[in-house]
Amino acid sequence: MLARIAHELYWIGRQLARAEHTSRMLDGVFHADLQGRPDDPAGVRLSWDALLTIVSGEPPDDAASRDQVLRLLTLDPEHPTSVLNCVTRAREGARTVRDVFSGEMWETINTFHLGLLQRNVSAALQTGPYSVYAYVRERCGQFWGVTGRTMLRDEAYAFLQAGAAIESADMVLRMLRVALPLGGEGAEAHLRDGQALALLQAVGGFQAYRRAVPAPPNAGPVARFLLFERDYPDSVAFSIEALHNALTAADPAYRDSPAVLRLSRMVADLDFQARSAEIDGGLGDMLEDVQFELARVHSDVAQRYFGGAVQPVAAPLA
Amino acid sequence: MNFAIRYLTEYRYESPVTDNLNALRVKPATMATQSVEDFVVRVDPEARLNRHLDYFGTQVIEFGISRPHDHLSIDVRARVQTSTPAEPLDTDWEAIEDRAYDAAAGEFVLPVGPEPDHLILDELVGDTRGESPLATLRRMVEVIPDRFEYRAGVTYVGSTVGDLLAAGAGVCQDFAHLALLLLRRHGIGARYVSGYLWAPSTDDEASAEVETHAWIEALLPNGSGGLTWIAADPTNRTLGGESHVKIGHGRQYADVPPIKGVYRGAAGSSLSASVRMTRSDVTPISSP
Amino acid sequence: MAALEALGPEALTQAGQRRDAIFMQQGITFDAGGPGSGAVRDRPFPLDLVPRIIPADEWNQIKRGLAQRIRALNHFVDDVYHAREIIHDGKVPWQLVVSRPAFARAAHGIRPPGGVYCHVSGCDLVRDANGAWKVLEDNVRTPSGISYVLENRRAMTRLLPALFEHYRVRPVDHYPALLRTALEEVAPTGGEEEATVVVWTPGPYNSAYFEHAFLARQMGVELVEASDLVVRDSVCHIRTTRGLQRVHAIYRRIDDDFMDPLEFRPDSVLGVPGLMRAYRAGSVAIVNAVGTGVADDKAIYHYVPEMIRYYLGEEPIVENVPTYLMSDREQRAWVLERLDQVVVKPTSESGGKGVFIGPSASDEEIAAQAAEIKREPERWIAQDLVKLSTVPTAQPDGGLAARHVDLRPFAVFGDDIRIVPGGLTRVALREGSMIVNSSQGGGSKDTWVLEADDTPMPHPAPHAWSSPRMPELPMGGSWSSQQQQQQQ
Repeated sequence: MLARIAHELYWIGRQLARAEHTSRMLDGVFHADLQGRPDDPAGVRLSWDALLTIVSGEPPDDAASRDQVLRLLTLDPEHPTSVLNCVTRAREGARTVRDVFSGEMWETINTFHLGLLQRNVSAALQTGPYSVYAYVRERCGQFWGVTGRTMLRDEAYAFLQAGAAIESADMVLRMLRVALPLGGEGAEAHLRDGQALALLQAVGGFQAYRRAVPAPPNAGPVARFLLFERDYPDSVAFSIEALHNALTAADPAYRDSPAVLRLSRMVADLDFQARSAEIDGGLGDMLEDVQFELARVHSDVAQRYFGGAVQPVAAPLA
Repeated sequence: MNFAIRYLTEYRYESPVTDNLNALRVKPATMATQSVEDFVVRVDPEARLNRHLDYFGTQVIEFGISRPHDHLSIDVRARVQTSTPAEPLDTDWEAIEDRAYDAAAGEFVLPVGPEPDHLILDELVGDTRGESPLATLRRMVEVIPDRFEYRAGVTYVGSTVGDLLAAGAGVCQDFAHLALLLLRRHGIGARYVSGYLWAPSTDDEASAEVETHAWIEALLPNGSGGLTWIAADPTNRTLGGESHVKIGHGRQYADVPPIKGVYRGAAGSSLSASVRMTRSDVTPISSP
Repeated sequence: MAALEALGPEALTQAGQRRDAIFMQQGITFDAGGPGSGAVRDRPFPLDLVPRIIPADEWNQIKRGLAQRIRALNHFVDDVYHAREIIHDGKVPWQLVVSRPAFARAAHGIRPPGGVYCHVSGCDLVRDANGAWKVLEDNVRTPSGISYVLENRRAMTRLLPALFEHYRVRPVDHYPALLRTALEEVAPTGGEEEATVVVWTPGPYNSAYFEHAFLARQMGVELVEASDLVVRDSVCHIRTTRGLQRVHAIYRRIDDDFMDPLEFRPDSVLGVPGLMRAYRAGSVAIVNAVGTGVADDKAIYHYVPEMIRYYLGEEPIVENVPTYLMSDREQRAWVLERLDQVVVKPTSESGGKGVFIGPSASDEEIAAQAAEIKREPERWIAQDLVKLSTVPTAQPDGGLAARHVDLRPFAVFGDDIRIVPGGLTRVALREGSMIVNSSQGGGSKDTWVLEADDTPMPHPAPHAWSSPRMPELPMGGSWSSQQQQQQQ
């Protein structure tokens, strides 16, 4: 398929996964924030500052207020990773890939976008953000549902899935790195346990965790769950495997693909780490390594599939 | 006259470029007063050359270099023999005022695109109007260099007649475009000619560094009921002669550019081009 | 009409609301902003819910007339870029041909596969007050509107299915298949490989982008932009995730001027350098061919009946509207005295731009138009005002009123000419208006060509199907109590 279209699809996948994770996170933190008490060390304290750090990669200059962050990350058309911006860009992308999308996929994403632009969304964000985030979750779910139901399982599908998978893995890694920073004992550990619970709720994985893991949702087991649990669809391991499978499906010569080779190694590494009782070098290093490798996968993908032979190889003259 | 012509163009790119596609209009035309004895084009990096005749009958040589490269040289060599065209005959204006003339002149009597709205153009039309079409052509090659200074650097390859009028100076391409506009206003079919001009700095030189040149041709009655294209050079105050080696013609420069190309890459480039003409029919005068 | 009356105004109004909602949701819109207005403003394409009906016998005449006309136009394009026989024989003046802005010198001497130039055409027809069909304009460049024909039909079957029950309407949805077949027929594959066909769009900001994407999707081919195409060694390729892939036929929805910066405008960044080289080498078919615009120029239109006689030796089946060339001194003088009675059009514009309608013009407008004609006579033609026929059209309150319409049927020319029944009926939504362009307040109608033998369709027999019933859960049957043993 066209390199430009594959690139567009990959980014639609990324944008929608980012929109969904951002809104789940905002929702989770909003509710945790309502219940938490600053004097309760075990209370949930996944702060608004932390949230900004997760999505933009660096902490804000000034302490951010709840309303500021909600508005910025939800409806600010200028903020590069606001939910609205992600959906707008995904919709713009969808316009250019309409010939590979099913009609229903386009309609879903178009309606999703139109819905976010309604005036009452802005009001709803102030009165009860839950309805806004529920809308985003539902529409994302609807999009992936319609996609699964109506889109041909071809290369286009694979690149869309690849984008969603790499973004999901990346978002969860970011959350883990910010919410559960290195080591710490005593009161610090309690704090991390509280954040772990908020995190779990934010990604929508609380029930899955309860069914899969007997331990209480404290920092250690939650981190392991979100990293390694191959049966949980938003874990890093699951996303990386999905990314691996998508690229394998898209590329008939996948054995020569640097991205696929790198991913195979990552899948094996994660599997090995999951079996060992302790993580060598601590959780922080591990998260950093995985995220670094993912960034390299991203550039491998861009080079191999989206370059579209711009750089020609020397061709002999006939 | 017999000439050996070497037209060498070299491009250097600051960083490698790809998909370098070019169209050359550099081969001397074959016509009654001109024959081509030898013609070779070499391109480095090497590339396959494709040839065709364009709408105006000019040979076009096209090539593309897809692999990365940081230089391109186009080396054109030709051997040409020219002879002096017959002296044009004078006829009156009525000879070009009929439908048969319009049909023969075709698009060369029509304006090309919008024209500048300058009073000075009307004045120039008046100044160049002669007793006959041929007299008008002769006045044209005097009036233009009288009124405009030949100076390189004030106009560029994409300049219009308006730019020449505004600057009061230009080069052969601008002079030719102005002459075409004025001749067409007189109802005379006229076309742009691209070629090489033998222009040694002293009479006794056998070899000279020149440049590609532009002049015009006007469609005039030949006295025997037919029509003939008569060359005229408004830069050098002369009608065409055996020093003019024609490549091809068109309505304007854009129809016969010697080299036109595009490449992929944001790199800047430097260009050097040279045309050397050598008389091969005279023995060089040995220095005393 | 009885079916419409049975429906009643309320049902019509409600269907109209459903229509707008569906079109917005599906993004079936056009840019109402117009060029230069900046932002793209999406409006639902205005579909009038009352279909326009064309009887079978009228359609047959239209169809034959169009096929004849397209053949003649195709001959003309071939002729002006090769032998110029019609010129030498004095039927069309050469200066008029070469002064058309769409005359493409780069196409000189290139004969595309099969000698077909006008692969897709969409000529505008009108029915005058006497009921005679006439050709108002030819369009053999990149005519648009077919997607609305198909979407209108789809919307009508969804919104007002009851209307279809009483008629046998000929289907239109095979158009994409026709187009793809024609593209494959002209693709120079050498018979050895399967043809790769693409649709080339200027991009999402083009006003007809919806249609480009629609056609690519319906044909199951790639929708490409210039950056996707690359020419190497006189062969055109698309850039894919697996490297370069050869392309055999390009359905381009882009003007000649923006195709190849090496041959056309050097300032164009939209083009594909070297494309004309590949075209000239015969390795790729460009659809429509380069240079067809010379044939649908409004000044050339005047000569089409002559072309039909010259190339085909036939009389035109569908006639022209009387047209006057402003470049001709006598015709100009005649028209300048009657500017209040004629329509004046610029020769090289499309979409109703710059059209002057004498009867509705003020004295100042007439004077201004006269000055324009005198200044640049070759830019203008004049036509007799055709009183367009009217058909019933739905009003916002659900009532019906007469509105003026035209018709743009779409023809596809591969090995043969095939025409989709009906076409795009455009309707002037304002009372008395003759301007049907969607950019200027026009709408469209679903156009029904009826089967010759128009007997009502029998209802299909209801199927004797019944849904499978939910099986019992095999939970091991009902509970029974174990027989108890009495303790003895």
